[in-house]
Amino acid sequence: MSDEDKKRSDRPGRSYDESRRRFLKGVGIAGAGAALADHLIADAHAAAPEVDRTARSITGTVEIVLDVNNQKRAVRTEPRTTLLNALRNHVEPPITGPKLVCDMGTCGACTVIMDNQTAYACLVLAIDAVGKKITTVEGLGTPTALNGVQAAFVEKDALMCGFCTPGFITTISAYLKQNSNPSLAEVQQACKGNFCRCGTYPRVFEAALAAAKVGTSAGQD
Amino acid sequence: MQQGPAPKKKKVKVPRVVNGIETMVEIEVDDVGGPGWGPNDKHALLNHHLTRVDGPLKVSGVAEYTYDKRVPGMLYGRILRSPHPHARVLKVDVTAAQSIPGVKGIVSIADNPDPAAVETGPAKSSERRTITVNFAGEPVAAVAAETPEIAQDAVRAIKVEYEVLPHVVRAEDALKESSPKVYEEGNLEPKDSQGYATRVATALETCDVVLEAEYRTPIVHHASLETHGHVVDFRGNNTATVYASTQGTFTIPGDAAKELGLKESDVTAIVEHMGGGFGSKFGIGIEGALACRLAKQTKSPVKLMLTRQDEFLLAGNRSGSWQKFKAGANKDGTLIALQALQYQLGGLGDGSQAGQPYIYRVANSYRERMAIHTNEDASRAMRAPGHPQASYAIECLLDDLAQRLNLDPLELRKKNLRDKVYHRQLDRGAREIGWDRRNKVPGATAGPLKKGIGCAVGTWGGGGNNQCKVDVSVARDGSVLVAVGSQDLGTGTRTYTRAIVAEELGLQQKDVTERIGNSTLGAANASGGSTTSASLAPSVKNGAYKARMAVAEKVAPLLGGIKPEEITFVNGNVSGGGKSLAWKQACATLPAAGVTARGEWQAELQGSGVHGACFAEVEVDVETGRVRPIKMVHVQDVGLPLNRLAIESQINGGMIQSLGMALWEERVMDARLGIQVNPSFGDYKLPGSAEIPELVVIIDDDDKREAVIGVGEPSIIPAVGAVANAVFNAIGVRIHDLPLTPDKILMALSNGRTSA
Repeated sequence: MSDEDKKRSDRPGRSYDESRRRFLKGVGIAGAGAALADHLIADAHAAAPEVDRTARSITGTVEIVLDVNNQKRAVRTEPRTTLLNALRNHVEPPITGPKLVCDMGTCGACTVIMDNQTAYACLVLAIDAVGKKITTVEGLGTPTALNGVQAAFVEKDALMCGFCTPGFITTISAYLKQNSNPSLAEVQQACKGNFCRCGTYPRVFEAALAAAKVGTSAGQD
Repeated sequence: MQQGPAPKKKKVKVPRVVNGIETMVEIEVDDVGGPGWGPNDKHALLNHHLTRVDGPLKVSGVAEYTYDKRVPGMLYGRILRSPHPHARVLKVDVTAAQSIPGVKGIVSIADNPDPAAVETGPAKSSERRTITVNFAGEPVAAVAAETPEIAQDAVRAIKVEYEVLPHVVRAEDALKESSPKVYEEGNLEPKDSQGYATRVATALETCDVVLEAEYRTPIVHHASLETHGHVVDFRGNNTATVYASTQGTFTIPGDAAKELGLKESDVTAIVEHMGGGFGSKFGIGIEGALACRLAKQTKSPVKLMLTRQDEFLLAGNRSGSWQKFKAGANKDGTLIALQALQYQLGGLGDGSQAGQPYIYRVANSYRERMAIHTNEDASRAMRAPGHPQASYAIECLLDDLAQRLNLDPLELRKKNLRDKVYHRQLDRGAREIGWDRRNKVPGATAGPLKKGIGCAVGTWGGGGNNQCKVDVSVARDGSVLVAVGSQDLGTGTRTYTRAIVAEELGLQQKDVTERIGNSTLGAANASGGSTTSASLAPSVKNGAYKARMAVAEKVAPLLGGIKPEEITFVNGNVSGGGKSLAWKQACATLPAAGVTARGEWQAELQGSGVHGACFAEVEVDVETGRVRPIKMVHVQDVGLPLNRLAIESQINGGMIQSLGMALWEERVMDARLGIQVNPSFGDYKLPGSAEIPELVVIIDDDDKREAVIGVGEPSIIPAVGAVANAVFNAIGVRIHDLPLTPDKILMALSNGRTSA
C-alpha cells in the first residue's frame, strides 16, 4: 500500500481495516505460533499497544497445514497471509487456479470451495483455513478428466482470456450441488459475485444450464 | 541452395499499428502465389464452431499465466505511487525500508534523475526519467522482497518528501487562463482540422433545421483481469527470460534488453496465456522497466505484477471525449452541414477520436480535433481507439435530429449512409429487435417502466500486414507442429492456427499441436487494431500449404507418380491416382527429419474494412432512474469467419463492454485533490452477471469476401450509441454525458429537457 492508501484507510469509519490492522499488530507482538489459528487468542492481542509500523515489519511466520484438493499441504506463512496468497505464493508447488484479481472480495476470480461453501480466498486468512477442506478448480477435474461444468465451459465457449474462468467454475460447480435444476435467472444470481471482462457471461450461463441438464439426466446430485 | 528468380513484387496497403493505433501504409510484398481460401461455405473446419484448443487447460486451472509463474529464487516486486497529482520529489528515503529483513532491492525516481525534466515539467517520452510526478499514481519507487507481504511493508516504509505543485484534472478547468499548465506549451493542443469552416457556416444558413449539441464520454478503464506485469528471470549473466502479460510477444525483448543492458537477441519473451489486454499491453511499460531494474540490482528473478489499484491509476485508460456540434439538415433528413469541435481527453497523453462526421456523408463538414491535457496518466489504445467516442456522439446527434424532424431514425441513417452494406445490416438488425415496436415519439410509453429501442452503426479496418513467419513441421510419425511467436489474448489465436493447418492437411484439430507466445519462434505482429488474424492466418495457411506440397512430393511416387498438386488431403487420407494412404502411412515416406515449411504472408488471403450495426432495447424505471438492458443485437460482416464460436463470443464481449461504457463505467476524479476516487472493482462498476441482457450475434454471411479480417474491435463501436439512443427512445429526454446513471436520468426527467 502507498501513502495514499494508508491515508484513506486511516480515515474514521473504516472499522474493518482498523480491526484487521490491530489484529496484525497483535500477531506481530505475539510472534509465531500455531495457536494463532485460534481467533480468540488473536482478539486478545488486538488491544496490544501501538508499534511504529512504518519502521518495522511484521515478519513472524507460522507453519500450518492446509487440506487442499484432498492433499495435506504444509506451508510456512505469516498470519496475515491470505489463503489465496498462501496457495499461489507460498505452497510448493504452487496452486494457481484461483486468481488474484481485485484482492478485496468483489470479483470472485479466487473463489474456492471451503467445507462445501464457496469462499473468496482473498478474504480468508490462511491460518483460518486450517482444518477446513479446500477445493480449488484443480480439484474439480483435470484437462483429461473434466467435471461436468468444466466440460460444458469448453463446449459452449464460456471462456476467452480465461482469467475469470476458475472462479466461475468453482462457483457454478458448488451451486449446482445445491440446486441441480436452476433457471437462467437463478444462474445469473448465483454468478453475481464473479466478474468477467471479456464478456463471456451469456455463454457462462449456457454452460451452467447445460451442465445442470447433463448432471440431472446422469442422475447425479 | 539454388537461387531461384527474384519473386515478383506487388504493392498493398496495410494497417500499421503503433500502440494499438492504426494507420494505413503502402508496402511492397513478394507476390508469393499459393491457393486462396476457397468459398466461405466449403470449409471442413474453418467457418464452423470450433471449441478452444486451450479450453481444457483454462477450465481446469492448469493454464499458466504470467501472474502464475514462479521460478526458483524469485523476488516479488511492488510499486510505491505518488499520492499527489503534481509534485516535485525532493527526497526519497529508503533507509527504513532497506532495514526490513527480506527486502533485497529498491529503485526510485531519485536514482538517476534527468535534471532537464525538473524544470520543464513532464517528459512526453515515457523513457525519460523525471523528478517531478505529474499524476496521482505515478511510480516513485519500487522494491523487491522475498515475499509479497514483505514487499508491501517495504513500500509503506519508504519516506518521500514532496513539494506539492498546482494541478488540474477537469477539462473545463484546464481550458481556463488561470489553470496550472500541464505542459509548458499549454493544456490545449490542436491536432488536426478538416474541411472548410466558412463553407459550413454558409451552408448552415440554408438548412431547414439546425441543431447545436454536445456529447461527452468519461475516461473508462480496460480492467483486464490479469494486471500488467512480468517475471523477469535474470540472474546477472548474459541472458534473460521475460514472462509477460502482453499483447505483443515481440514488443518485450527490445525494451527489456535496454533496461538489463543485454542484447535484444539474448532476451526471450514468453506469453503462454494472458488474461486480457484490450489495447493496454504493449511493450514492458514502466512496471516492466522497474522489474528489470530490480532484477539487475538484485541479480535475481523479479516478479512484478501491478496491484488492482496500480492498474487503475497508472496502466492507461480509454481517453474521454467532449464533442460539440452544430448540425444542419433538410426536412427530408439529408445532412447538409456539420461543424464539430472534438476534444480528446487523454490526460498527459493525446487521447484519440475518429474524425467527424465519422461514417456519414455530409455535404459540408468541418472538424477540429484538439487534446486537452490534465494531470492524469496518459490514455492508451483501448479496443477500437477513438471509435466508440466518435460513434456515440454522431449517433446521438442523428437521433436528436430525427426527433426534431419527426423522422424514423433508421431511415435518417440510410439516407445519409452511402454504403449499402449498412442498409442491409440495419434492416437485418431491425427485424431481429422488432424495430416497429419502438416509441414513434421518444418517451411515449405510459407508466413508470418505459421501454425504448435504439440503433447505431460503426466501421473498422481489420486488415493485416506482412510480419508473421510461421513454421509448419510434419514428422515421420505423422505428428504436426505449427509454431509462431504470436500471442493468444483470449481471442482464439491458438485454435484457428491449429484449425487452418489441420484443414489444409485433411486432419482434425487434435492431430496438430501449436506453439505460440515465444520470441524465439517465427516473428509475429503485436495484437492491436484487430490486425492479428489478418496477419497471422495467411502466413499459417501459406506454411500449411507448403508443408502439404512437401509431403505430396514425397508421397507422389507411391501414388503412381502423379503430380504433387493433384494429390488430395481429406479426412486423414492422402489420395491420388486411384490410390489412398492413411496420413501416417504417407508420413512414413518422409525423411528422418520430417519436413518443415515456412509460411509467409499472402496479401490476397486477407481483407480490410468492415461495417457493423447494433440495436439495443432497454427499460427505464423513471421513478428510480434505473436502466435495465433487455436485448442487444449486433450484425457484423467479417469476411471469412475463421471460427464462428470464437467470433460470436468476441462480439458478445464487445456488446457487454459497450453496455458498461454506456451505463456504468467512468473514472471519477476528485478535482480538488486530483485523485481518482474509484480505483477498485468495488467502486468502478463493471457489467455483472445480473445485468446481462439477451444478446444476439448475427454474422453477416452476405459478405462473401474470401478473406480473413480482424473482428476484435468493431463490436465495441456502435453498441454505446445504440444503448444511449434506446434510453432516449424510452424517456424522450437526451442525456449528454455518459454513463447514463440513475441520478442523471432523474435529473434530466425532472428538468423535462436535455441536461446539457
